Amino acid sequence: MSAPATTLIKPLIWIAALTLLCVCAALRLDPRQPVDTNLLDLLPATQQSPLLDAATERTQGAFLRELLLVVSAADYSQARRGAKAAQTAFAAAGLPLADAARSVQALIGLYRRHRYALLTAADRQQLDRNPAGAFTNDVAGEFANPAGMMGVFGGDPGGYLGRFLMGLPQPYANFTPDGAFMSARRNGKNYFLLRATLPEAALGERGAAHAARAVAAAHAAVMTQCPACRVRATGAALFAAAAQNEARQEVLWLTAASMLFIVLLILLVFRSLRPLILGVLSVGAGVLAGAAAVLIGFGSVHILTLVCGTTLLGIAIDYAFLYFAEHWFGGGAAQYTLHSVLPGLTMGLITGVIAFAFLPLAGFPALTQIAVFSVAGLMMSYATVVLLFPSALRKRPAVRFAKLLQFPQRLLVLACRRTRWRYLVPLILLLLSVPGWFQLHASDAVRELQNFPKPLLNADRDVRTLLGQTSPPGFFLIEGGNLQQALQREETLFNVTAVAVPGAVALGLSRFLPSASRQRANLETWARVYRGPAALKRAFAHIGLPPAYVNTMEAGWKHNAHTPLTPRALLAAEPDLGQFVVRARNRWALIATLLSSPATVPQLQNAAAQVPGVRFVAPLQRLTDTFRQIRRRATWLVAAGYVLISLLLIGRYGRRDTLRMLYPPLLSLAVTLGALGWLRVPVNIFVIVGLILVLGVGRDYTVFLREGARSQATALGVTLAALATLCSFGMLTFSAIPALHAFGLATLIGILASYLSAPLSIAPHTEEAT
Amino acid sequence: MSRRKSAAALCAVTLLLVAAFPAATGAADLSKAPESFRARFIETRTLPGFDQPLVSRGNVTFSRTRGVVWEVTAPYHYVFRLSASGAEEQMPDGSVRHLDAEHAPWLAVVRHIFSGALAGNISELRRYFHVRVTALRAGRRIELTPKSGPMAKAINHIRVTEAGTPRSLRIDEASGGRIVIRFLEAKTAAEMP
Repeated sequence: MSAPATTLIKPLIWIAALTLLCVCAALRLDPRQPVDTNLLDLLPATQQSPLLDAATERTQGAFLRELLLVVSAADYSQARRGAKAAQTAFAAAGLPLADAARSVQALIGLYRRHRYALLTAADRQQLDRNPAGAFTNDVAGEFANPAGMMGVFGGDPGGYLGRFLMGLPQPYANFTPDGAFMSARRNGKNYFLLRATLPEAALGERGAAHAARAVAAAHAAVMTQCPACRVRATGAALFAAAAQNEARQEVLWLTAASMLFIVLLILLVFRSLRPLILGVLSVGAGVLAGAAAVLIGFGSVHILTLVCGTTLLGIAIDYAFLYFAEHWFGGGAAQYTLHSVLPGLTMGLITGVIAFAFLPLAGFPALTQIAVFSVAGLMMSYATVVLLFPSALRKRPAVRFAKLLQFPQRLLVLACRRTRWRYLVPLILLLLSVPGWFQLHASDAVRELQNFPKPLLNADRDVRTLLGQTSPPGFFLIEGGNLQQALQREETLFNVTAVAVPGAVALGLSRFLPSASRQRANLETWARVYRGPAALKRAFAHIGLPPAYVNTMEAGWKHNAHTPLTPRALLAAEPDLGQFVVRARNRWALIATLLSSPATVPQLQNAAAQVPGVRFVAPLQRLTDTFRQIRRRATWLVAAGYVLISLLLIGRYGRRDTLRMLYPPLLSLAVTLGALGWLRVPVNIFVIVGLILVLGVGRDYTVFLREGARSQATALGVTLAALATLCSFGMLTFSAIPALHAFGLATLIGILASYLSAPLSIAPHTEEAT
Repeated sequence: MSRRKSAAALCAVTLLLVAAFPAATGAADLSKAPESFRARFIETRTLPGFDQPLVSRGNVTFSRTRGVVWEVTAPYHYVFRLSASGAEEQMPDGSVRHLDAEHAPWLAVVRHIFSGALAGNISELRRYFHVRVTALRAGRRIELTPKSGPMAKAINHIRVTEAGTPRSLRIDEASGGRIVIRFLEAKTAAEMP
């Protein structure tokens, strides 16, 4: 085959391979969710159950889609006018308000029809103990009570339904329905609450932007109508919008700054934009192949995989720079560039693949995806260099090897001198790092990974305090063969929690809908009350109430259907209560919460353990635990991968050289960890990804230098690769987002240490030899 | 959830307030309102569905500092106490029930209006009612018609007559029931021995 044909075939193979991957990925792609943004999907499948999944999604969705806005002013009318303006603005933004009064009438009507089936525990006990006496006492009290003088619950002699209704959990403590709003007075101010539910998933960019726009419009409308009013809003969507906004702004300037620096670097060194285009092509093809491989394997790619995988593919830029340096400034002929760098590239690829190949053993979907992404990406980047670069770069450009460009090799030569500093400097650094290691601390809390604007955090605190909302530490999942069994179990659970965590408000469907068996017990209690009308009449007469009243009351009892309130009827009247119910594969479950502090989690877990079919779930805690497990397992597996790589290196370079090659990356790792400790930067999953990157890059540098035999082109290639990585990832040190800052700092220190320690992998030489 | 209960409680407080500050409802001249008063009352309650009206008697004591005590003495003994700090009722069998504001948010509203009124601010009343004052030969008649909303679902009309202290009060309920209270031997603090 002729040379031109060969140069054409290789790029064609490259294009065909990439196209095939993309086509297969497109066929396997889940069109509803190509990118999975749900962090809970990171949890291992073995720990999941369909009901738990549904319950977690339900609680998460309800929280994420809720948007709360409070308008306040000293003057009631002004505050109300402001609230109305906000309501109109919300409606114009496509966010109709949840009408506070909408379903109350329907619900009260339903409760009235089933009032004999609904009793508070205290009333039931009193009536059971002394049916005629307790009933007479309650009727007399209700008639005499000035608050009960209106006969509000006509047909509810004794006020039993009233007490049942007053015992229901209040969604917002101290707020009462006020037209379409909920309002409250506190410290001389009138507060109006507007509650909206976002139509789309609030964590999605659309939902977050929608919420932010609606709140901004409402704020402007309130200020126009009522300049004296104050507006505060909160909701997960607003936090998501703030996070996205911050991320967008940061990405913009960080990317612009790093790109500018890299472009200048390439122009300065190569006097051509071709390396830039080819470098971007190499990494871009890697990302595309990585995403395609994950889509083929999993149907959708998780956002964490995209972030971490793309980051890890930063290693791939080393391949490109090694090639460019050799091509531009190497000693051999242009057509032998690939031949010169191929051993280094191949060793870099093999060791990189081995390092990632261990991650799926962790058993976490996230790590498996990251491994597949990184391995496929590295292979494609390697293929780009090997198949495409020789065809794209055929002639050696006539660029002068400026004095500045000789610096890397001079450094290399200097570092390779046989002096005592070659051992003393690393030793001193290592000793300085040791105290840092002991100051290291891990953090896997999801909340600590993000940074939110102070005004938003303050508004959230103010609104939640005003509403008396305590965010529960988790929820109970109460399973049952049917809904009634689940309701009974929830009632038992609430009896247990009432003792375990006294005073904490229990929220669950059984508070609104007692189980059928409890309702039947209530009906039996009433049957006992009306079983002896003569006794009732005597009791009425004795206290001074007209005995004839008993006839009317007894007629009311007889005319009642005496049927328990059914879940179907209740949920039809108040669909919002359906949020407590989950169903999956013919199994029923209820979601219940106890409004208590996070410190009560052990009691809640203990209470759940006492009732069959009940478990306590803390989603944030679960996620934090998962992150911790991922971090730990990833650390061990990377260590295992490193051991395997060392065996491979021993095979190629021998034991003595391998030890020498392995020690600089480990030294960089030790120094990086020490520095992180000194700087009090917590080690989280993203720092671990940064450290994997540092290890991978450090290993590449030593392999390249070892294979490049101290050539000036190799030294330059490694230097450029290090500078590019520092520019792109090291820049993240300036990020305000804690997770990115920690990652950036770890990468910055690690890459710098890896670069400076890489010459230690080469055997020292004497002055004469130089 | 307890809108109607809230409405009822507001009405009850309204009655007591109107009784306490009759002048204020018309002219907001609180200097004329008594610091405290005490009266006997006879309440006749006609209940829809019940042939016989229920008649009860008792005493009402009002004090700006201590609140209201509504004490029924016949046909049985019952006491309702409402102050700025809370509410409780003593049942005919002697047991005491505390009204827990945590479980009855309307109580917070009632207490707020009540304490506001004690401090001389009864503008809150106008939030819920159209107020009309008619001068009589001795004293005046104050009529309250609920504005739209939950209050209007419970009450049609309230009429109070006063001459320095309350004389009578009539409430027409939306359910068809009626309450008529006659105040006897009403005495302000200055008139009390």
